[in-house]
Amino acid sequence: MSAPTFQGYRRSDGTIGVRNHVLVMSVTGLTGPSARRIGRAVPGVRVVTTPFGSGLMGEDAEVQMRALTAFGCHPNVAATVVIGATPPQVERIAQSIARTGRPVEALIFDECEHDAITLTERGMRTAARMLRDASRLQRTPASLGDLFLGMECGRSDPSSGLVSNPLVGCVVDAVVAAGGRALFGETIEWLGAEHLLARRAVDASVAQAIEAAVVRRERTAVAAGLDLLGNNPGPTNIAAGLSTIEEKSLGAIAKGGRSPIRGVIGIADPVPGPGLYVQDAPAYAPESVGGLVASGAQLVLFTTGVGNSFVSGLAPTIKISANPVAVRRLREQLDFDASDVFERKASLEEAAARLQSVVLDVASGMLTWGEVLDEGEEVVSRLGPAL
Amino acid sequence: MTAWSATALSAADNVATLLHAVERGERVIVRTTAGDIGVTALEPIALCHKIALRDIAPGEAVLKYGECIGEATAAIPRGGWVHIHNVRSRRGRAPQASP
Repeated sequence: MSAPTFQGYRRSDGTIGVRNHVLVMSVTGLTGPSARRIGRAVPGVRVVTTPFGSGLMGEDAEVQMRALTAFGCHPNVAATVVIGATPPQVERIAQSIARTGRPVEALIFDECEHDAITLTERGMRTAARMLRDASRLQRTPASLGDLFLGMECGRSDPSSGLVSNPLVGCVVDAVVAAGGRALFGETIEWLGAEHLLARRAVDASVAQAIEAAVVRRERTAVAAGLDLLGNNPGPTNIAAGLSTIEEKSLGAIAKGGRSPIRGVIGIADPVPGPGLYVQDAPAYAPESVGGLVASGAQLVLFTTGVGNSFVSGLAPTIKISANPVAVRRLREQLDFDASDVFERKASLEEAAARLQSVVLDVASGMLTWGEVLDEGEEVVSRLGPAL
Repeated sequence: MTAWSATALSAADNVATLLHAVERGERVIVRTTAGDIGVTALEPIALCHKIALRDIAPGEAVLKYGECIGEATAAIPRGGWVHIHNVRSRRGRAPQASP
């Protein structure tokens, strides 16, 4: 049997894209409406905006800056129009993107005398040119080991832990064994299973970092006077049969497969090399997926029990469920039906081979339901108070 | 092929997950790592919810995936429904003040 391959876009910095997006990115809250207007006027571009700006400080400001820069340097992005209010931040982000060899243009609201129509016109012309140029790029063969998978679960039920997450884990192990990368986050959903993750850490310092991250999240919840029951697991999880955070976590970590864990990274930190990493980050799907994509995940494997519509706008997000009721009800949301494993009509191994082939098809250009319906959005977590 | 309708992934587990909803009095065949066992459901239990495989005492660990998912807050008889009315997390709670 020949080695599994897909067709990807080889970027000048050596990364491989599974999409060829032109990004219109507003890096300040003031310019978001113009970025969205440019997106409507030039169909086919992707729009990323942030509602925040100069009031951010400390680690919060660093995370925003790192994540926005990372979106512009993402393997799935061919070129970017960076839009912002004032020069220093816009130019810093544009320079970082330029260093990857990708085309980038900076548009500054100050230089348009804060006239949104002028900014829109300049943005439309720039985005239109970039879109035409990007369309000349061709896909070339790439291997399974060129993939960087992000793993996420949302609106889980017990079928997630029994079937969908272990299934994703099988594909993750195959990608890691082939030299690829994989990353999952949602720290609070390690709680009760952190000893199992720590056991897979490559060394004692990584094991300690995993356990410390969980303790920090647990203490934050306790300090806020929060009972995790009703928050995580949330009402949907509970109605579906999950009773405690430990039960949810023990199912959730299966999406990371069985490969060694090479390190714990922060939101939007690049992964240092091939292999499996974990990200210390919030669990809510839009924030969590945003963090994984900002760290470079090209493709997201997103398991759900009863259905979850959230997808990344930059990384195709494959929705997987094994819940027989959900897969019948959400035919235009769930990309992969694993209910035959739940109903004992297929083995996990058979389904994993099928999922891997869907992953390669999507990597080569097949659209996910989230892409067809344009559900995608990038969200960057906020960490603290602003000025 | 046996019509098994619940699964327990580890030999240590004292609960199993139902692969379809069951009625009170229904005989449930549970696939365990040690082979199939039969348990009679004492009450209706929904799809994906948990059934006790043994009597579980108050305070005893509830085990799924071979790991503790919380503790029983009441006596749970074999065949009973195991959920938030009789099990709670051991985590995410403020430390007990010392007497």
